Amino acid sequence: MKIKNQLLKTALVACLALPGLVIAAEAKLSDAEVNEINAQFPMPSGKMLGDSCAACHGTLGAEFNEGMPPLAGMDRQHFIDLMKAFRQGDFPTIVMHDVAYVYTDAEIEAMADYFASLPAEQWPAPNITESAFLNPDGTIKQIGGAQ
Amino acid sequence: MSSSQSMLSRRDLIKRFGAAAVAGTGLFGFSNQAWSSKSAHIVIVGGGIGGAATAKYLRLAHGKVRITLVEPNPEYTFCPGSNEVFNGHETLENLTFNYDTMRQRYGVNVIQDKAVAIDYAKRQLRLGSGENVSYDKLVVSTGPDFIYDAVEGYSAAHAAGDLPHAWKAGAQTAKLKAQLDAMPQGGVFVMSSPDGAYRCPPAPYERVSMIADQLSRTNPTAKLIILDSKNRYTFQEHYEHYWTERYGFGTENEVISWVAEKDGGRAVKLDARNKTLITASGEKIKADVINIIPPHKASKFAIDAGLAQGQRWVDFEAKTFKSLVDPNVYVIGDMVNAPMSKTGMIASNQAKVVVESIVADLEGREPGTPFIANNCVAIISDDYGMTIADTHRFAGDRYLVQQRISEVTDNPYVRHIRADLAKNWQRTFRKEIFH
Repeated sequence: MKIKNQLLKTALVACLALPGLVIAAEAKLSDAEVNEINAQFPMPSGKMLGDSCAACHGTLGAEFNEGMPPLAGMDRQHFIDLMKAFRQGDFPTIVMHDVAYVYTDAEIEAMADYFASLPAEQWPAPNITESAFLNPDGTIKQIGGAQ
Repeated sequence: MSSSQSMLSRRDLIKRFGAAAVAGTGLFGFSNQAWSSKSAHIVIVGGGIGGAATAKYLRLAHGKVRITLVEPNPEYTFCPGSNEVFNGHETLENLTFNYDTMRQRYGVNVIQDKAVAIDYAKRQLRLGSGENVSYDKLVVSTGPDFIYDAVEGYSAAHAAGDLPHAWKAGAQTAKLKAQLDAMPQGGVFVMSSPDGAYRCPPAPYERVSMIADQLSRTNPTAKLIILDSKNRYTFQEHYEHYWTERYGFGTENEVISWVAEKDGGRAVKLDARNKTLITASGEKIKADVINIIPPHKASKFAIDAGLAQGQRWVDFEAKTFKSLVDPNVYVIGDMVNAPMSKTGMIASNQAKVVVESIVADLEGREPGTPFIANNCVAIISDDYGMTIADTHRFAGDRYLVQQRISEVTDNPYVRHIRADLAKNWQRTFRKEIFH
């Protein structure tokens, strides 16, 4: 079943042109226009893109106890296939078809690499001291790297 | 978008940036050797979602930088989920976190005090105690303050007393809940919903929905009135659809009434003694419980420190969230002038952009391109949820905003699972910030 493209609003909103000056302009943007703007700047890293998913999927995608699936340690190709299917609306989802449509192939692949590199383990609750994410003294490891 | 800037083809983009971006991510056991200023001191003002996320993600990115968090309260209570206190489906205890994990797991020095001023030249933050804390980088995430006198006669003293706005979750939430529970049968609840940007755009309507759900069991003849200072709101179609089904919205017997600004809905004056709100059209509405949600502005701290530059909100450099006043100061969260909703998720993702900018500065490199998502799952009841997905793509001096809102549906499965997803989201988000 193909979900109808239900883009309700695509808006270009200007943030800051000059100090203290905010320009708000709204316009419908095509995929080509989005791509054109994206092409002017380095792509956000897999970590930058992936960490913005954390509110729903947990820190570093490591929430294994909720309805939204964990992403930490996910197979790279599985992630790519799913995200592309969401993006195309290949099957009905609750929200992911409305999330995935903004990402380019390269962005999806960068996120897939990022999540595949992380341990497939629940993010430790405060009372947990043994974890792939923690040092023996209970402090956090530097996992996930810099940008 | 400037036409003078070169346009690279899609393939060029992937060729130039894709490989580097891939190679730079996912390093397990990242080495700290690259740091030149090992003892750099990052001070964060505000221990809410934005400040806590900054502290946590900064420590995830680097083991040795010194992190200090300045917050006057010993605990933080999440606003997301707090409207469900009103129908008894959530507790404030469950939404409240202390800073022990910040201290122990993330090595954050948490100072329980109020920040009062910034000395930009000396790079010092002055605290309420009179102590000065030196910083290399300062992150200000104090949230908003309220424009109480937008409704004449309303004040901070009223809010702390018998007329809580309850727009920062905590004691005021509990007081409003107690007032609603004590409301006489057939009583009237009136809310003033603000215009301008305020935290969590659908939250006034969510709050009324939770209250209506509770009263449907305990006080079914009560009336709820929303006096609105605007004409449209987020998820309006969803709320009206559900209210029509369950509360006779739009009929003579409606339980919930919504008065738009254009129909005289703006509340302009409070007569506290007579428990009456007066609208722009002069109508007097007497109520048993009054909930005024004041319009927002940047925090007093941000305004006093000059960060707002005489404006209502705080401007910032788009790529890094650096203040335009001083590049060693970062500004995030509900107080900034961004083309983004004022939500906790936005604040948490702005925090990650700030962390990248701080780490890049200390490593002497260009920060990576930001990307900020806001995926909100909201509810009207336990069996009706809806979603909004915003992405904010960096475009030089501005952000490209793309937004999709879920469609109204009568499919009970879809409604229900969206509501379940909202509970999922709330739990996961709390853990993301404080665990």
